[in-house]
Amino acid sequence: MLAVETRNLTKDYDIKKDGKRAHLRAVDGLDLAIEKSEIYCLLGPNGSGKTTTTRLLAGILRPSVGGARILGLDVVEDASQVRSIVGLLTETPALYERLTVRQNLTFIANLYDVPKEEIKTRIEELINLFDLPEKIDLPAGSLSKGMRQKVAIARSMIHDPPVIFLDEPTASLAPESAKVVRDQILKLSKLEKRTFFLCTHNLFEAERLSTRVGIINHGKLISEGTPTQLRDLKKDETTTVFRFAVWDDVIKNFFQERNYDVLDINPERKSISIFIREIEKETPTIIDELIKQNFPMFEVRHEYPTLERVYLELVMSENLPRNQEEEES
Amino acid sequence: MKWRRIWALVKKDLIEFTKSKYVLSAIIGIPLIFAVLIPLSGLLPITSINPADFEGDDTFPDFINNLFASTVDDWESLNMHAQTLIMISYLMFVMVLMLPIIIPAITASETIVGEKERKTMEAILASPITETEIVFAKITSSLIPSIFATFVAAGGYMIITDILIFPFIGQVLFPDFLSIIFILVFGPMISIVSVELMIMISTKVKSVRDSYQIGSLVVLPLIFLIVAGMISFFFNSIATLIGGIAGMVIIIVILFKLATNIFNREKAIIKMT
Ligand SMILES: Nc1ncnc2c1ncn2[C@@H]1O[C@H](COP(=O)(O)OP(=O)(O)O)[C@@H](O)[C@H]1O
Ligand SMILES: [Mg+2]
Repeated sequence: MLAVETRNLTKDYDIKKDGKRAHLRAVDGLDLAIEKSEIYCLLGPNGSGKTTTTRLLAGILRPSVGGARILGLDVVEDASQVRSIVGLLTETPALYERLTVRQNLTFIANLYDVPKEEIKTRIEELINLFDLPEKIDLPAGSLSKGMRQKVAIARSMIHDPPVIFLDEPTASLAPESAKVVRDQILKLSKLEKRTFFLCTHNLFEAERLSTRVGIINHGKLISEGTPTQLRDLKKDETTTVFRFAVWDDVIKNFFQERNYDVLDINPERKSISIFIREIEKETPTIIDELIKQNFPMFEVRHEYPTLERVYLELVMSENLPRNQEEEES
Repeated sequence: MKWRRIWALVKKDLIEFTKSKYVLSAIIGIPLIFAVLIPLSGLLPITSINPADFEGDDTFPDFINNLFASTVDDWESLNMHAQTLIMISYLMFVMVLMLPIIIPAITASETIVGEKERKTMEAILASPITETEIVFAKITSSLIPSIFATFVAAGGYMIITDILIFPFIGQVLFPDFLSIIFILVFGPMISIVSVELMIMISTKVKSVRDSYQIGSLVVLPLIFLIVAGMISFFFNSIATLIGGIAGMVIIIVILFKLATNIFNREKAIIKMT
């Protein structure tokens, strides 16, 4: 059984356009198949439909077309059961500021029917997991933004859900807190076989954490695969950089005479980067020749395309985002 | 309906109320005004008028005499000064009954629109709690402060009024059958109607301030309901009493159905963003 499975998942919002009623297709024919204990990252620009997707999968919005199943349960037919087996960290998670951390978590635990006698230990476990034990009886409003985010993440797991949706979990976290959260996600997925579905625009995070990445734009899945598979999409764009102890324009001539595809010459850094069609075959030959010529070479390195580059190229090539005005408000 | 979830939400709301300066001052301050300020400012000036100034051949119109004769012991034997005090006391009691309308407008706005405004609602909507449970819990939590405030205000009002006018009318006016019915039955029912209307409004508005504003308009017609109820009760017929209560119950049930129909997850989420 798949942890998350969607079939042509589509969501239209009713909006007003020029005073007339219209539809906005926020999610457009999504087909996903996510295995148990995967960490799936949905990457996409603002307004691409990530939040809407998580809301559909968590059973709080109804699909306009198509459908989805969570561990075999239909998000419409079995909505109530779906809600009780998934955890959701919302995009703007708000705590009750006047209530203590413990009161906040107890409240939500009761909504999920967590057995009464387990609530206390469960809260303490989670609070320790996220490194906040001394804050447990303070009003949530007195916590820093990052701490609140951690409490909200803890809250999304209070009922021990097997499938967890986290909408931009580390967006407001300082690097060290983000690391705590990432480490816990990895741990929970490895040791306890939980499935995570993360929305993020943090490519570093996607690369570090995810078993698979889906790239979404204008509500459509435009690419999907493991981080390595996605990087390999641009494998043929690997560049090779040669650096020298002393720079001499003869070096430049060397490469140009041999008709290499020179991408960048940087006399200041004493380096030149070129594009080699058959890296494995040609690189050793070039090195041999450079040594024969007695050029003071001290570094050769390949620059493989990063996930970021793949992502940006995929998204940019689809013209500009539809909601430019929404960029990072 | 799962009572545990409902109670969790009610309890959470009540804790929040007690920690909100604004709600707390409304729940305590407004009843205080009604219980103390109104009887003092309304009755004291009249108690100090020389009873002789009331003497003369004049009497109240027949219909007023009939109205009060059926509720107040020995109405005919009281002098006009005493009769005036009794009339004013009842009139101002109607004002105390505005509390069950006003307080829920505040509490319901805070807990429903407030949760939307502060974005805490989504975590509730993500949980397995049903829409009906949410509406039921929100009615209950908005209602409790209102009932509490009404009891306190009415109790205070009655005690102060009795103390002020006893020397002039020679009998304890409150509590009588009429006021008890109003406080224990009619008041809470009015509160429920008020909360239900506020829940329906809350699905349409985005900020607590808008909710107060629209709420204060919608709540006005309810005041007529109270005055109408009060007047009909004066005729002291058990039939009107039962009819009135039955009518209120029907309104409450219909509004509950409407409120639960209007309040749904999808709309609550979409309207939130
Ligand atoms: N409640 C709503 N009503 C109308 N349009 C909405 C609503 N929520 C989101 N949208 C629109 O749907 C699209 C997708 O939004 P969203 O799912 O929030 O994207 P993301 O999370 O990737 O930033 C955007 O164009 C956004 O403006
Ligand atoms: Mg989003």
